[in-house]
Amino acid sequence: MAEDVAFKHIEKTSLIGKRIKKPDAPAKAIGKTRYINDMVLPQMLYGKILHAGRPHAEIISIDTSEAEKLAGVHLVITAKDTPDLKLGFVKDNAPLKSKVLCERDEVAAVAAESEAIAAAAIKLIKVSYKDLPGVFSAKDGLKKDAPQIQENFPGNKSLKFKFKHGDLAEAEAGSDIILDHVFNVHYVTHCCMGTSCAIADFDHNGKLTIYSQTQYPYNYKMDLAPALGIDPGDIRVIQPTTGGSFGAKLDVYPYEPVAAILAQKTGRPVKVLFDREEEFINSPTRQPAAIHLRTGCTSDGILTFRSADVLMDNGAYTSWGPTVPVIMMRTVSGHYRVPVIDFKAQAVYSNNAYAGSFRGYGNVQMTYATAQHMDMFAEELSEKHGMDPIEFHLKNAQKSGEVTPQKSYLRECVLAECLTTAAAASDYVNKHKTYTEACTEEGRYKRGIGLASSIHNAGGAKIHKSDGCGTILKMDDYARVTVITGASEIGQGIDAVISQIVSEELGVPPEHVTLVNNDSDIGPWDVGVHASRTTFIAGNGAKRAAIKAKKQILAAASKQANVTAEELDLRGGYVVQDKDGAAVIRLDRMLRQMHFQPTPDVVMVSDYYEPNSELEGKDHISDHSAAYSHAVHIAEVVVDTYTGEVKVEKVTMAQDVGRVINRMGLEAQMEGGLAFGLGFALSEEMIFEEGRLLNPSFRDYKVPTAPEMPEIEMHFIESDCEEGPYGAKGIAELPTIVIAPAIANAVYNATGIRFLNPPMSPEKVARAIWEKKQADS
Amino acid sequence: MSEIERYIAPNQLDDALEALAGGPVTIVAGATDLTPQITGGKRVYKATLMNIQHIEGLNAVTKKDGKIRIGSLVTVSEIRGNPMLKKHGGILCQAANHFASEQIRNAATIGGNICNASPAGDMIIPFLVLGAAVELARWQDDRIETRSVPLDEFFTGPGRSVARDDELLTAVIFDVPPENSIGFFRKSGPRPALEISTVSIGIGGDFSDGTLKNVRVAFGAVGPTALRGKLTEAALEGKTLNQDVIQAAALAARQDVSPIDDIRATKWYRTHLIGVFTEELLNNVCQN
Ligand SMILES: Cc1cc2nc3c(=O)[nH]c(=O)nc-3n(C[C@H](O)[C@H](O)[C@H](O)COP(=O)(O)OP(=O)(O)OC[C@H]3O[C@@H](n4cnc5c(N)ncnc54)[C@H](O)[C@@H]3O)c2cc1C
Repeated sequence: MAEDVAFKHIEKTSLIGKRIKKPDAPAKAIGKTRYINDMVLPQMLYGKILHAGRPHAEIISIDTSEAEKLAGVHLVITAKDTPDLKLGFVKDNAPLKSKVLCERDEVAAVAAESEAIAAAAIKLIKVSYKDLPGVFSAKDGLKKDAPQIQENFPGNKSLKFKFKHGDLAEAEAGSDIILDHVFNVHYVTHCCMGTSCAIADFDHNGKLTIYSQTQYPYNYKMDLAPALGIDPGDIRVIQPTTGGSFGAKLDVYPYEPVAAILAQKTGRPVKVLFDREEEFINSPTRQPAAIHLRTGCTSDGILTFRSADVLMDNGAYTSWGPTVPVIMMRTVSGHYRVPVIDFKAQAVYSNNAYAGSFRGYGNVQMTYATAQHMDMFAEELSEKHGMDPIEFHLKNAQKSGEVTPQKSYLRECVLAECLTTAAAASDYVNKHKTYTEACTEEGRYKRGIGLASSIHNAGGAKIHKSDGCGTILKMDDYARVTVITGASEIGQGIDAVISQIVSEELGVPPEHVTLVNNDSDIGPWDVGVHASRTTFIAGNGAKRAAIKAKKQILAAASKQANVTAEELDLRGGYVVQDKDGAAVIRLDRMLRQMHFQPTPDVVMVSDYYEPNSELEGKDHISDHSAAYSHAVHIAEVVVDTYTGEVKVEKVTMAQDVGRVINRMGLEAQMEGGLAFGLGFALSEEMIFEEGRLLNPSFRDYKVPTAPEMPEIEMHFIESDCEEGPYGAKGIAELPTIVIAPAIANAVYNATGIRFLNPPMSPEKVARAIWEKKQADS
Repeated sequence: MSEIERYIAPNQLDDALEALAGGPVTIVAGATDLTPQITGGKRVYKATLMNIQHIEGLNAVTKKDGKIRIGSLVTVSEIRGNPMLKKHGGILCQAANHFASEQIRNAATIGGNICNASPAGDMIIPFLVLGAAVELARWQDDRIETRSVPLDEFFTGPGRSVARDDELLTAVIFDVPPENSIGFFRKSGPRPALEISTVSIGIGGDFSDGTLKNVRVAFGAVGPTALRGKLTEAALEGKTLNQDVIQAAALAARQDVSPIDDIRATKWYRTHLIGVFTEELLNNVCQN
């Protein structure tokens, strides 16, 4: 036995639930990080796109001759140069357009020596348009004489969804209270700090390397290939550091194939980078929707049915936006125990902007409606029947083991604990009563408290044939670990989580774990960063790979130490005796001994983790996630009834997180997620007039600033998910989903007014209060 | 963006004025208005870009002979932290407190705020309430020629003023307010920081025994220029403040303004807010 281990004992400790520093945070904080936006390749040209700037028009002619003559311009392309190239979810979009269907439409593109030359060249392109009458709402798109937007979609009908369960007529007949409202959820956008960027580079064998901000590098190849007419196998995706995605990069958008086509034709790397105004106009939005929600309830406070009829403005092309009913219907059928469900959704083509996926994915929209209906019931039942509002929620809250009408299996369900914890911590019932009484009194400032909850998938969502993730783990002769994972890091913190998990299993410090995950030629497959899935799926993969490595090491060590592998453990950089922590050998030594022998035993393991969920399927009856989770937010607001300003003073949240892994990362996700929901609820709105965005700047599109962040009290409820890594569930979307209706319910508590159409901007609130005063007097 | 042929950064006022007299010059101070206007394509550079930040003598705040003089290069941050102004022109500090963010306040000059002539310029309102005049300088017959223009006669439209192309704004000057003077500023926008005013309002005057005299009222973002509220002033002048007077003033304020609908707010909301803020500020005066 080597001398340095004599008398050394290492206790068993755990990092799970501790605060782990995000490895890239210092560089980001001091401005040292090189984002894709900063990247320059040798010989690189700058690409710039000419956008139509009008919503619906025929292109009569394009004259590129002046632009081509400009010194420093290498190439100008139009739709003529890119025939038959298609992209998008239903292949209704193209890199460059021969007809204009929306303001952002890409009409021509330039590659030039500098950004300034490219911008100047764009201005020299002369396009003659014939403007056409447009469709600017889903309702108008359905009219008989509406202009036809997409040739292959008659009647402007895009995607359609349906789910029915139980007898609606019977349920309605058995209801004592039926609520019936239309909620109009508005346009918002992601506002990534790093604007959209792609750098494309072809080699002489026809292989494309694309530097991309994508969140889903592996399926991305499949989606990009038809937009270029090449084989997906000939695409290598490199993901440099990105300045945020939040769902905006979960599809291929035209600027990406445009960069690649320019690169292919010029033989030079080409970078396309949006400025902020381009970013606002040419990025996906959150899917807007008119949600006609009807909910029934008995006088005993038992929900009887929910029916939702959702009309969505598809915009001109189909990205992920109009697919959000997949999640909307899980909320309709799963947000509390609802026995009878009737869900319909229809997307309609228009000449408006089009939506992509966005943190909360349909659930932000739907919970804004369902959680307000729950509050309306609670109000009415308490007023008419003296029912305690929390009791009403608890009566309808599912318990572990329940299965929703869509067959979501709620294995570990702690909605009731979330409700009681948040209610007790915020003194909800008392405050709610006090503010209700004060609501009709004179006075400028009114306080309100509002409760909302929701359910969301927390173990991936199997909308692709595989929801899995590959992991390759190797250890070197110095006990440093490299984890090659399919999971992407887009700022959300999987880097810290994987280091932490591997460190937990292998007894090495988290700083000794290096993550390699930004090159599709190196990493194994993963479906992408979305659906709150990465800690759950990639975390499980990393854990399983680390356990394999550990087994291999302990098997080798057991031979040496003459004990069984089960009696050994890895702790603090040593192989130790499990029972008392007595050190056996330093881990790096052990690894070298394994390596340098006649039959080398090197630690290089791999794993492919596929969660035990079921494919979503056409009928939407499947256990599509490996876990589901709930959150409750209680918002406390002060409303200035004169100016309409709503100040959110405090939010008490209780969320089922399964198990806390990286506490610091978890808290940051709660805060960041809440900020998104806060902006959606109160201030953010894309204002369109006939398909044109009127406020494409941070001056007029109001993202919340630091002073608007409320005090946040977080309660993490640990339900210990059997399938999740160490019991963890996915967590990142619920904070965005639940806060807006909590605020709306609080504003109701303060003012007696329901806001069905967000955002609750000062003017809207002031106007509603003023109108109510006029009507009352 | 057109080409800048020449960049100059003179140290002396006469050099700067000579350059101005000599041809098309774009003046830049803190650049917080100019840069976004240029990059947004709303404005182009003239042949000469003149940075005025190095000109001596334009960055002082002084009190002398019953006048307070604030050099045009004084930044909003400097106003905010100036103890003498806190005492003698508190309304300026209030407006500075609600101005943009720390970084912008550090760069933004009062000369830039006034010369940009935005109807929503926040420092204009307190200066109007203080009855300030601006000092304009130009090069004439080989010497510096200055004139003084009352601020309420300075603006002619959005982005427009009576200042000539060859004139530089050198200072803002107002009488030291009497001991019993009061002044309140309020602006609105959906956010507490980094917000362009939806509307802004300032009210000031001499206040003793519950009575307001020499009242000045100014409104921002409710017309083509920042403006004085003449009807509101008349409703308040010499009156003992009580709820009836306050209500009458709030009504007059709504009649004083002629705002427009734009993407930031409707005419209705701006008018409504003017009434609300007039009432609020006058209640502040009562409680003072
Ligand atoms: C993020 C952001 C937030 C902002 N928030 C606010 C706010 O809350 N309230 C507000 O009022 N404004 C705000 N502004 C606008 C701006 O900061 C102010 O108007 C500022 O005072 C302008 O001063 P400057 O020194 O930067 O002017 P510059 O941009 O340097 O100049 C502005 C204009 O005045 C001219 N000029 C400057 N100095 C002189 C002079 N001495 N003589 C003649 N002409 C001159 C210039 O040629 C130019 O036309 C904001 C701007 C930004 C970018």
